[in-house]
Amino acid sequence: MARAGGITNAVNVGIAVQADWENREFISHISLNVRRLFDFLVQFEATTKSKLAALNEKLDTLERRLELLEVQVGTASANPSLFNT
Amino acid sequence: MAVPVEEAIAALSTFSLEDEQPEIQGPGAWVSSESAATSSPIEYSDVSAYRLSLSEDTKALNQLNTLIQEGKEMASVIYTYRSCVKALPQLPDSMKHSQADLYLETYQVLDLEMSRLREIQRWQASASSKLAADMQRFSRPERRINGPTITHLWSMLKLLDVLLQLDHLKNAKASIPNDFSWYKRTFTQVSVQWQDTDSMREELDDLQIFLSTRWAILLNLHVEMFRVNNVEDILQVLIVFAVESLELDFALLFPERHILLRVLPVLVVLATSSEKDSESLYKRVKINRLITIFKNDPVIPAFPDLHLSPAAMLKELSSYFQKFSSQTRLLTLPAPHELPPREALDYQRHYLIINHIGAIRAEHDDFAIRFTSSINQLLLLKSTEGADVEWSKEVKGCVYDMVVEGFQLLSRWTSRIWEQCAWKFSRPCKEFSPIESNEAPTSFSDYEKVVRYNYSTEERKALVELVSYIKSIGSMMQRCDTLVADALWETIHAEVQDFVQNTLATMLKTTFRKKKDLSRILSDMRTLSADWMANTSKPETESQSLQPGGDESRANFFYPRSVPPTAAQVHCLQFLIYEVVSGGNLRKPGGLFGNSGSDIPVNDMKQLETFFYKLSFFLHIMDYTATLGTLMDHGFLWFREFYLESSRVIQFPVECSLPWMLIDQILESHNAGLLESVLIPFDIYNDSAQQALTMLKQRFLYDEIEAEVDHCFDIFVSRLCDIIFTYYKSWGASELLDPSFLFALDNGERFSVQPMRFMELLKMTRVKLLGRTIDLRSLIAERMNKVFRENLEFLFDRFESQDLCAVVELEKLVDILRHTHDLLSKDLSIDSFNLMMSEMLENISLVSYSSRLASQIWSEMQNDFLPNFILCNTTQRFVRSSKVPPAPVQKPSVPYAKPNFYCGSEDLNSAHQSFARLHSGFLGIPHMFAIVKLLGQRSLPWLIRALLDHISNKITTLEPMISGLQEALPKSIGLLPFDGGVTGCMRLINEQLNWGKKSELKAEVLSGIKEIGSVLYWIGLLDNVLREVDTAHFMQTAPWLGMVPGPDGQIVQSHEGGVSPIVQLFRSATAAVIPNPGCPNPASFQTMAKQAEAADLLYKANINTGSVLEYALAFTSAALDKYCSKWSGAPKTGFVDITTSRDFYRIYSGLQIGYLEESARGRPNNYEVLGDSVAWGGCTIIYLLGQQLHFELFDFSYQVLNVAEVEAASVSHRSPHSSQGWEALLEAMKKARRLNNHVFSMLKARCPLEDKVACAIKQSGAPLHRIKFENTVSAFETLPQIGG
Repeated sequence: MARAGGITNAVNVGIAVQADWENREFISHISLNVRRLFDFLVQFEATTKSKLAALNEKLDTLERRLELLEVQVGTASANPSLFNT
Repeated sequence: MAVPVEEAIAALSTFSLEDEQPEIQGPGAWVSSESAATSSPIEYSDVSAYRLSLSEDTKALNQLNTLIQEGKEMASVIYTYRSCVKALPQLPDSMKHSQADLYLETYQVLDLEMSRLREIQRWQASASSKLAADMQRFSRPERRINGPTITHLWSMLKLLDVLLQLDHLKNAKASIPNDFSWYKRTFTQVSVQWQDTDSMREELDDLQIFLSTRWAILLNLHVEMFRVNNVEDILQVLIVFAVESLELDFALLFPERHILLRVLPVLVVLATSSEKDSESLYKRVKINRLITIFKNDPVIPAFPDLHLSPAAMLKELSSYFQKFSSQTRLLTLPAPHELPPREALDYQRHYLIINHIGAIRAEHDDFAIRFTSSINQLLLLKSTEGADVEWSKEVKGCVYDMVVEGFQLLSRWTSRIWEQCAWKFSRPCKEFSPIESNEAPTSFSDYEKVVRYNYSTEERKALVELVSYIKSIGSMMQRCDTLVADALWETIHAEVQDFVQNTLATMLKTTFRKKKDLSRILSDMRTLSADWMANTSKPETESQSLQPGGDESRANFFYPRSVPPTAAQVHCLQFLIYEVVSGGNLRKPGGLFGNSGSDIPVNDMKQLETFFYKLSFFLHIMDYTATLGTLMDHGFLWFREFYLESSRVIQFPVECSLPWMLIDQILESHNAGLLESVLIPFDIYNDSAQQALTMLKQRFLYDEIEAEVDHCFDIFVSRLCDIIFTYYKSWGASELLDPSFLFALDNGERFSVQPMRFMELLKMTRVKLLGRTIDLRSLIAERMNKVFRENLEFLFDRFESQDLCAVVELEKLVDILRHTHDLLSKDLSIDSFNLMMSEMLENISLVSYSSRLASQIWSEMQNDFLPNFILCNTTQRFVRSSKVPPAPVQKPSVPYAKPNFYCGSEDLNSAHQSFARLHSGFLGIPHMFAIVKLLGQRSLPWLIRALLDHISNKITTLEPMISGLQEALPKSIGLLPFDGGVTGCMRLINEQLNWGKKSELKAEVLSGIKEIGSVLYWIGLLDNVLREVDTAHFMQTAPWLGMVPGPDGQIVQSHEGGVSPIVQLFRSATAAVIPNPGCPNPASFQTMAKQAEAADLLYKANINTGSVLEYALAFTSAALDKYCSKWSGAPKTGFVDITTSRDFYRIYSGLQIGYLEESARGRPNNYEVLGDSVAWGGCTIIYLLGQQLHFELFDFSYQVLNVAEVEAASVSHRSPHSSQGWEALLEAMKKARRLNNHVFSMLKARCPLEDKVACAIKQSGAPLHRIKFENTVSAFETLPQIGG
């Protein structure tokens, strides 16, 4: 019966596994930090978006007020005679 | 200059990234870099490195995995298959000749679809044979190759599942055979001209058999498997594995659990239908265990809207598998629709989320707290330098435990939703929902029966709650993904190392010392996964830990390394453990770990088992984000392909869509707690769209979802805005009710508003929807701006359709709206109310002073108020005269609006309406307040000007009439003789006052005078109100402007350093703040100080406002000056002319006695036509013409009264009957005299005639007081004119 557990060259495998652990430590370290960078970017985007939204809101309000002022000035300048007396 | 990675990354966290937005939506964006450890990303090519002779197994495993992938794609093709035949056009009769072309086209279209089906048929044949071959190869008793590994077993199970699903779908989709038969028809039509169609025909027949045979795939698989008679062993192993995994239910997440549940019946059928002894299965697995499993889950979800039932499946399969039909115990299991009512109720209790939601809520709260606290611990640990190793291990272990628990919770909850759906699909609602009873109950589709009417209100609520729990826990875990990753890896590493270095070492030394072959396996396990050097960074303990087992009493101590084992390592470890416990023998009786025949001690067995199952869970944890994604995926709630086909419609209406039903439920419920979860159902849409694109890979599904989401989101926003507006409106309205009154009221709570929170929703600037980001806040703000304007518009419309008395109601409603605006603008930035108000009033122009409201009030006064209202001097009110035939006034009908355009709720509406009703019948002081408040300083002068012009116009129109009346009077009228008594006087008067032809002018003149009087009295009321308002204003501003009462009661400016207190205050504040270096913005303080000076100037100029009434009287007097010569014949002699009849007072006197007589003669309506304002008008004109004394001396009625007095004094010795019959007239005369005296005294006070003074308004708007000026109308030109 072919039994499992036939690691043919146990010592070599052991050394390779050990090296593998170390290599992978390096890899997972790098990949985790890359992910953290991504995370930061995502979060940064979110924050920026909400700040832009706040800014947009203020601009909207200002825009409407400006529109109103424009109309008011328009009414005034359409009747210059009123201001000449 | 290399910066260490950690430092660089850590530096990022110093950026301040505050985010205003609350987390009330599931995560929309995933950053997942894991290489999906649950299925090895490199197809287990690294397994060979461990030299376990597993290459055959790995090859087979990868083959199966490829098949699984392909099979899943096939399944999604079938699942999303929609009938083509339904879309085929019918040829009209006129085009019958081109029928052949149509057949060809149809054939070509269908051929494409049918080629896919043919592909599926071919694929399933090859998959079955490959699976069968695989099983046979790995289950030979004389095994020459290693395997099958546990991963391999899983792949077999999964492939079986895929085949089963395909079969199930093929059975369920009726449109496929339909399309096929159409295809065959067109083929026979088209192929007539073709040669050599036999092979195609054969192929078609094949396909037809495949498509029309139920369970064709399973039957085919059965045939393939039992070609060689040795797959029973592996089938039994699979059954044992499935049963044990299900019973243990530790390492299974719900997708795997569902796979096992689906596959198990098929496995049982296959295993018992072999030629050999079918009972051998039950020697390894007791039949009761199987029955328990089948009974526990009578319905298993298979596809989003398709479920499987083991009992029903077993029954159906028994007719295809002869041998199996003898298994009576399994066949007597009731299918879901056959369940006896009591059992069905039990299952219902189990399946419905609503029965568990309490426990789930507690679990959620508890878990959320513990998870957060463990994360906090981790953060603390990370910020501590040189932390204790033990502590660090404990904290990280705790995080690991929490993650495991979280996955299990999420898995349990999501599977609850899946299972509830399956249960609901298996039991369509029988009785129809009473809410929609008005609809014809016959028109319900099947899908409506299983979804729309199958979830009660409470069930929907529970579902929303559960989905939001899952999403919130999920996104909480998702957010700290990169934070916990290394802690998790470290813990997993530690667990593995602890097992291989310590536990295995102990085992090797004790129990397995004698068994060479088993101990070899164990040492192989150590070889392939032990990390002996993990502690190289800590050399001081190196010697200790490098000697495994050097110290018997002490376990190996190793330093953590944050690296998880690879998928291949886990794969190999599981394989080896399985080898140890099974001895490499598939035939070994008993279960996996539960066999008693083994020579491994129970204790070790237990340890091996625990580690074995832990290993399979490690894979899920290593797949952190991917696992979370699977566990939080609720996309299945939308899909309904199966029902779409059976209902023969293109798509169901949005009301049938479960996500929308949930949104609808939340919006309907007005439940403050649920409202914050209102965005969660949109996550379901996100998930479905994701599934449509990535799993089902069908663009049309995505398009349908997108269309639905677009539609739903629009409705959602508009309804949400409506709710928000209504809520704030009712809140505002209820705050404006008198609180003490409400307190005293029994049912006062009807008028209070249930508090709700919209803050969180109003902060949502980034709603994630199908990959788009939507600024919900700005959408709401936009709509709110619109709705406020619409509301104002409506209020003005409403006012325009009512009379002037409604101005109080208008003012109240505008007030409520303003308060609503105040409340709302705390949470949302919307346009200022004044801006909206002036926009809706149409008075933003700088050169126009009129406004919509002012001109409405004016036209209302002109057309309705002045002609139709009469004054009552005593009550100071104008009321509508009942006697004046109402002048036909064209008014728009009262516009309809929802309750939230009034006060919000119905109760509040009625409360405020009953208040408004009090003021709807008259016009008095409250109305003046309302007008002053609504028109403000801007439009009020315009209105006053309009009124004054009205007076002057009236005088002009009266002038010719009065001249006419003057002509009708005799040239001279003497004093009344006393000797005739009252009767004689009256006779004489009647003789003299024979107006002749001009008598019809009388009424007109009287009503003209009445209008003038009304206007003057109205202005008088206005004056009173303005005084009050000004006084209040003055009280508020005086202290700031430094006004103090002087010794004589006059106002004195108290100047300290020449400036008023407000200027002083801001100046000193500025002076104090600016030198301070911490002051962020010194310029703004300087601006403030400047503005204080401006305010000082502006308010000081407004301190002494003039009287409107005095102004009006002066104006009237000026207007009368033109007619002075006509209406008062200046005596040439310089003496009082007794007999003149040209003076105005004569006319008025005549008119007055005329109407007094009429009213005394029993025609009382005269008073009701004219009211008291005639006296006001007449007396004012008389007074301003300087004829007051003349009038008091020579008025007919006064003279009559004098006569009557004398008569009364001598009544005792003269004829007692002389004044009889005149009492009523005398009484009326006395009343008129009293009224006239009142008016004169008022006029004397307000407009002293000696020096004609009045106030004027300078060009700048500042009033001039008590100046002397020439009375001409042009002096009053400063008031804004109509049309100006």
